[in-house]
Amino acid sequence: MTRTRPALRRLLPQAAVLCACLAATTSARAATSATLSAKFTPEQLGQRSTLDFGFSFSTPTEGVPSPLIQIELRYPDKLGIALSGLGLATCTAQTLEAAGPPGCPRNAVMGHGQALTGIVLGSTIITETAPITIVRAPDEGGRIELLFYAEGTTPVTTRIVFPGLLLPTSAPFGGLVSIGVPLVPTLPGAPYISVISLTATLGPVGVTYYEQVGARMLAYQPRGILLPRSCPHGGFPFAAEFRFLDNASATAHTAVPCPGNRRRSGHSFRSINPLRGVDRNEVTDLLGRDGTAWARHVKYGSR
Amino acid sequence: MNHTMHLIRAALVALAIPAAHAAHAMNATDTAHLRYVSASGSLLLEEGRAAGTLPGSMRVHFEVGATFSGSFTIHTGAGSITGHGAAVPHGSGVYESFSGSLTVTGGSGRYAHARGSARLYGTFNRATYALLVQTVGTLHY
Repeated sequence: MTRTRPALRRLLPQAAVLCACLAATTSARAATSATLSAKFTPEQLGQRSTLDFGFSFSTPTEGVPSPLIQIELRYPDKLGIALSGLGLATCTAQTLEAAGPPGCPRNAVMGHGQALTGIVLGSTIITETAPITIVRAPDEGGRIELLFYAEGTTPVTTRIVFPGLLLPTSAPFGGLVSIGVPLVPTLPGAPYISVISLTATLGPVGVTYYEQVGARMLAYQPRGILLPRSCPHGGFPFAAEFRFLDNASATAHTAVPCPGNRRRSGHSFRSINPLRGVDRNEVTDLLGRDGTAWARHVKYGSR
Repeated sequence: MNHTMHLIRAALVALAIPAAHAAHAMNATDTAHLRYVSASGSLLLEEGRAAGTLPGSMRVHFEVGATFSGSFTIHTGAGSITGHGAAVPHGSGVYESFSGSLTVTGGSGRYAHARGSARLYGTFNRATYALLVQTVGTLHY
C-alpha cells in the first residue's frame, strides 16, 4: 500500500491534465463550423485543370474540433475526373502502410496536400502539419477508390491511410467522395488527433508520370481534369458534410465562380487532344500505333 | 363491368400494336471500335465502325464517371438504330473494362420501329479514350 502512494502522486498531475484535456475537448465540441474552398488552376472552360480544395473547422472556444471521422465531398457535374489521365496505376492500402507513397507506382499518384491537426494537452493546443498523398486504389465493389496517405512526424509520429470512395449523387453534383477518417491515438489517455484544416490538389500539378516507349522510360505530366465547355449557373458547386466523433456534424458549401466572358449555360463539345500534357514548352511527338501523332509532355529522357 | 372490359380490351389492343410493327426479330452480336472525337468535361463524343450482325458506322455520346452512360446511333445501309445504355466499369489501369446493358429505342428506315435490348461489354482506354464495345442481344423491328 505504501508503495502505491508515490505512484498515485505521480499519476495525479497526469490525471488532472487528462481531465483538463477532456474538458477542453468537450467544450470544443459545441457548434463546430466548417468552411470549404475550391478553385481550378487554370480555370479555363474546356481546358485541363488542377482542382485545389480545402476545408477548415472552427469552434466557439479556443479548443480543437472533435476528431473527424467522415467526410462526404460533393463535386460538380460534368467534371472530367475520370478522363484526367490520373491514376493510371493503382496502389493498395497494404503497400501504402508498409512503404508509404514511394512504394507505390508513380502513375498511381493523383494529388498532394497537407493537413493541419491538433490535440489539446492541458491548456495548450499542439498542432502538427502532415503532408498528404492521394493515390488511386484498386476499385472497391465496382467503385473508384482513392487512398489518402498522411504522415505526421512531430509531436506524434504516425502514418495513416484512409480510403475515399467515388459514389454517385444527385444534381447539381456529379459525384461525391466518401472518405472515412480513422481515429489517430496520441498519448495514453489523451484525446484522438483532431483535424483543424486540410488543403489538397487533385491534378497534374506536382505529379509526374512515366511511360515505357520502346526502350526508353519517358516522364510526362498527366493531362488533368477536363472542365466542361460551359459553366453552370452560379458557378461550379462543391459541398461537404463532416461528421465528428461526438456525433456532431457540419456542412459547408462553395462554388467556383464562372470565368468572365464565357458561356454560362447550355452545353457544347470541342475537339481537344486527349493526350496533350499541361506544359507545352517541352512537348515531344510520339507516334501511336495507328499513326496518330501523340503529343505528350516529356520532361526527362529516362527515369 | 363494361367499363372494365373496355379497359382490358384497350390494353390488349395497345399491347398488340408493337407486335404488329415487330415483324422481324434477330439475335445480334456486334463489335464496335470507336475513337475519340471531342470532349466536354466528363462527356465524350466518339465515332467508329461497328462490325457483325448490323455493320455500319456508330456514334456515341457518353459520360465517364462513377458509371458509364450514354446514347448511341448506328447507321447501317438500311437505316439507323438509336438507343441508350449504361455500364459499370471494373478494375483500373489504362484499360478499364466495363459491362452493362443497352436499350434500343427507335431508328429510321427499315429500323424505324426498332426495339430491343442487349448486354454490352468492352474496354475503355483511359490514355487515348478509345472504346471497344461488344453487344449481344435481340432486335425487333
